[in-house]
Amino acid sequence: MAASRPSNWALNRAGKARKAVLFGVAGMLMLVWVFPLIWAVIVSLKSESEVLAYPPRIIFEPTLQNYSDALFGGVSILPSLVTSLIVSTATTILTILLAVPAAYVFARLKLRGKKGLGFYTLATQMVPPVGLVIPYFLILNRIGWLDTYQGMVTVYLTFSLPFAIWLLVSYMEDIPREMEEAAFLDRANRFQTLWHVILPQVRGGIAVTIIFVFLNAWNEFLFAVQLGGNTVRPVTVAMYNFVSVEQTLWAKLSAAALVAMVPMIIIGIAAQKQIVKGLTVGAVKGGGRQ
Amino acid sequence: MSGEVGQSDAKGSNGDSAGRVSLRGIRKHFGAFEALKGIDLDIEPMEFFALLGPSGSGKTTTLRVLAGLETPDDGTMSMDGADVTYTQPGERDVAMVFQNYALYPHMTLDANIGFPLRMGGVAKDRIPGLVREAAAKVKIEHLLHRRPGQLSGGQQQRCALARAIVRQPRLFLLDEPLSNLDAQLRLETRVELKKLQRSLNVTTVYVTHDQEEAMTIADRMAVFLDGEIAQVGTPEEVFNKPRNVNVAAFIGSPPMNLIEGQVEGRTVSIGDYRFDLPAASGQAKGKVIVGVRPSHIAIAETGLPAKLYLSENLGETMLLNFNVGENLIKMRLPEVRTFADNEAVNLQFDPAHVHLFDPQTGLRIE
Repeated sequence: MAASRPSNWALNRAGKARKAVLFGVAGMLMLVWVFPLIWAVIVSLKSESEVLAYPPRIIFEPTLQNYSDALFGGVSILPSLVTSLIVSTATTILTILLAVPAAYVFARLKLRGKKGLGFYTLATQMVPPVGLVIPYFLILNRIGWLDTYQGMVTVYLTFSLPFAIWLLVSYMEDIPREMEEAAFLDRANRFQTLWHVILPQVRGGIAVTIIFVFLNAWNEFLFAVQLGGNTVRPVTVAMYNFVSVEQTLWAKLSAAALVAMVPMIIIGIAAQKQIVKGLTVGAVKGGGRQ
Repeated sequence: MSGEVGQSDAKGSNGDSAGRVSLRGIRKHFGAFEALKGIDLDIEPMEFFALLGPSGSGKTTTLRVLAGLETPDDGTMSMDGADVTYTQPGERDVAMVFQNYALYPHMTLDANIGFPLRMGGVAKDRIPGLVREAAAKVKIEHLLHRRPGQLSGGQQQRCALARAIVRQPRLFLLDEPLSNLDAQLRLETRVELKKLQRSLNVTTVYVTHDQEEAMTIADRMAVFLDGEIAQVGTPEEVFNKPRNVNVAAFIGSPPMNLIEGQVEGRTVSIGDYRFDLPAASGQAKGKVIVGVRPSHIAIAETGLPAKLYLSENLGETMLLNFNVGENLIKMRLPEVRTFADNEAVNLQFDPAHVHLFDPQTGLRIE
């Protein structure tokens, strides 16, 4: 149909050219992003001596020894993976439990000082984390929470809560007020309204929040290394066992890093649909609902 | 209420209460804006009552006060004699249809309509029957498994109605329920709504800015202007005896012509045009505002000299706009014929249908 008229044909060609450019640029960006990952996969399959060979060899005999060493060797990251899982899961659950009602209050209730509180919530996000490490260290030390799960989770909450509240407020504000008023007239109390009417409609937003909070907690290094220790040693810190003054075990480090990425990739794939839904909620009015 | 034993069972809480509502001195501010300036209103049981007014006149705010969604700054509201001014919306036994319907998008129609029953603690095994019954009344029983997003506007509107009537409320509130429907559907739904209200026997308050809607559907109506009630009465009363110039200028399509005149003895004069003082306005003297509806004007040999400004062909009738001095006078001609541009004619007012208003107070002169 497009070829039947010259103008369409020209348009079509222009469209094709545009598409080609788009794919080219997208491909380049993709390559830049994926390259380190591919490199890490290649390195993780080499022996330590092979890694340091110069020029790098493309053809080599792949081995899974690094994975087995990283997981089950003398400096296994397995206990740290469990630690990371506990800390991240606890942080995520507590964040959602506290952020949902808080976001509802910010989004809906009339409250004296709400504006100020809202700004304060955001302002806590503006402080560079490095500036907080020492104060937090001193506080946790004073109350005996250094190197404890409750200490680590509490510190993570100070970051994840404001972020989660701020994110969820925007999702809740998107729900027409009348819907809530209809629920009140239908004899639902505030809690029932939140549970039956509001929450089902912000499922996408909650999924997005869970992923962001879990991801941040899982990837966190700065606080983990300062405020953790032998009891609470998340995987981001444990990986540093492969880096020492004498040498860096690049192959094992790569294997450990890739293993640590697995939970994130699983969550990402599992929640893909919800994320897309959640991210488009603001873009198209009512697009994320139903 | 005969033959509705099963339904009134479903009410549980309200039994056979009448649904008499009254507002006394209701005031409401939003910031510096005074939305309601002292509203007094009595709505009788089983009445279909319309709140009519232009946008920003306070009609919707009044409805929200009735629903309990707004708390008045001053004044009281009572239902069947009990003060409910500060009673929560859910405890008033009031149901409302919102302008945008406010259906729960994540629930099927079944769940939407059943929601007030579930929240009201109606026994689980009775809910499906009551939901079907309500859905049948608005003819959507075949759509119960769908979600609101899969319905047309008209179907959504019916679902909102079903959700409101399913629990047989004491007071039924409708906020411009037809405004989102197309013209044809609006006319049909208007009739059905009236029938539905008759069959349900529930006090109904209906907000609209469409006077034709209010005139045709309501038993009585309140005309809201500028945060105040300008007049309360049956549609006939409001149309035939507007209480002041503001109501006169609002009601009717097009509304009443208003022009300055003079009363001397038993004669009203507008310039050189004279006609007998209407018997109904016996008290008038001196300067007055003469009000006459477009359909109560005729073209005659003598009368008020006027120049045609614009003629509108409405199919069966014509709407003629005349320049009379500095005034624009609208007249409805019960036939269609051709006029010359700027044609000069004489207009006669039907004295039996002339309204006189006091130019100072704006009030109708009886």
